[in-house]
Amino acid sequence: MQIPREIELQELLNHPAVQSGLVPFVVALIAAELFQRMRLSGVAIIAGFAATVYLASDFSIEPLTAARKIVLLGLLSAGLTLPLMLFNPRWLRPLLTVAGGAAAVWVVLRILHQQEMAHMLLWGAGCALYAGWLVFWFDGLNDASLRAGSAGMALGLGSGAAALFGASALLGQFGLALGAAAGAYLLIQMLTNSPLPCGRSYTLPLSLIAGLSGCLAVLTAELPWYALPVLAAIPVAAKIPLPAKAALWMQSMLLSVVTLACAAGAVYLTWRIAGAPPL
Amino acid sequence: MLKHNAIAILLAASLPLTAHAAESYTVDPMHTFPHFSISHLGFSTMQGRFDKTSGKVTLDRTAKTGSVEIAIETASVSTGFAKRDEHLKSPDFFNAAEFPTISYQSTALHFKGDALASVDGNLTMAGVTRPVTLTIDAFKCGANPMNKKDECGAAASAQIKRSDFGIKYGLPNVGDDVKLVFEIEAIKD
Repeated sequence: MQIPREIELQELLNHPAVQSGLVPFVVALIAAELFQRMRLSGVAIIAGFAATVYLASDFSIEPLTAARKIVLLGLLSAGLTLPLMLFNPRWLRPLLTVAGGAAAVWVVLRILHQQEMAHMLLWGAGCALYAGWLVFWFDGLNDASLRAGSAGMALGLGSGAAALFGASALLGQFGLALGAAAGAYLLIQMLTNSPLPCGRSYTLPLSLIAGLSGCLAVLTAELPWYALPVLAAIPVAAKIPLPAKAALWMQSMLLSVVTLACAAGAVYLTWRIAGAPPL
Repeated sequence: MLKHNAIAILLAASLPLTAHAAESYTVDPMHTFPHFSISHLGFSTMQGRFDKTSGKVTLDRTAKTGSVEIAIETASVSTGFAKRDEHLKSPDFFNAAEFPTISYQSTALHFKGDALASVDGNLTMAGVTRPVTLTIDAFKCGANPMNKKDECGAAASAQIKRSDFGIKYGLPNVGDDVKLVFEIEAIKD
């Protein structure tokens, strides 16, 4: 028999806001601090995401649904970043971009097979383009922790909230978990006024999971396709020039305002089509 | 000799074949509705149904054998509230885009006297197949008084756990136990 405190804790952990907001935020805070000396603070993203998957879903791969493929690819991409720290040829960025696009097609393959040829090609190409685009542009931010932090937070929150409005709570939770984890990573930098190590351990899992989730939300829920280009503008918007002498918290605020505006735009477009989330 | 053979064939042809042969039926989608009910946060029991069902039934009531094959269009789920229906179609629940069909394939039919009592079979939902036994709560075969066609009807029910099919979203707040009720009519081919 469970004692009341255990029941209360279980109820708390079953709450979607705790699962996709509080828990990934706290886990990412701890992971970013813990791995800072190893220059792997970027693992905060996958740590926060994994915590949400553990609470809201599971790590099983049978049957290998599109959502489970996203979890699998997210974890694999995080594992891949360690060898990528040692091996960094010039062609790696285009290769990761193509791999991101191919991953998107693999994730939605079963859905594409049920479409007519024209739709199959259109959706397949669109998904590959969106995921590849995010991987490419986020990879360009892997040495700019502040920009990557702001863009990651906006992309995660935007993708998550839009998916939630589009009637897919699980994909919404995936995105919100990324946003919360990136928010924790950004907050440490703002509070300490010093940048954290970034690298592909941050940018690759974040861009891949967000890209694949956005694409899947379009195909399986009510996320309108034209919300994706707005979300895709986030890493580009994070390239805006910043006052070099400004404190990090000020630079973070500026970047967050610009990138979150894009995220809000995508959420607004989804809300117009889908209405309120099905809570 | 030839005359005797001809008589034997004529006699055999005059026997009521239907009493011994398996009869084949096609599910009447107009009078077939799979329903489900599930607890919502423990406050109420929500009801839903699927509007598009097809399938084949064979029955040999003398040999007490047969088969049931049902295909349900996942995207036809309806709860009377469009937003919830969209959510039910999403990967959180039935995942209709990836798994457009829910199917049931019988493995054995059990009779009590002349009436069908239960059906053992496999239910495939969201890409997962699990054995499910349908209890037949009502069963009737006969001629339809409106169109004079022979048909059979049944009310079947089963209790499943959605988590067994990998549908875990919202557990334990949204109930795990799902009651399935199939109201089915099938017209003789």
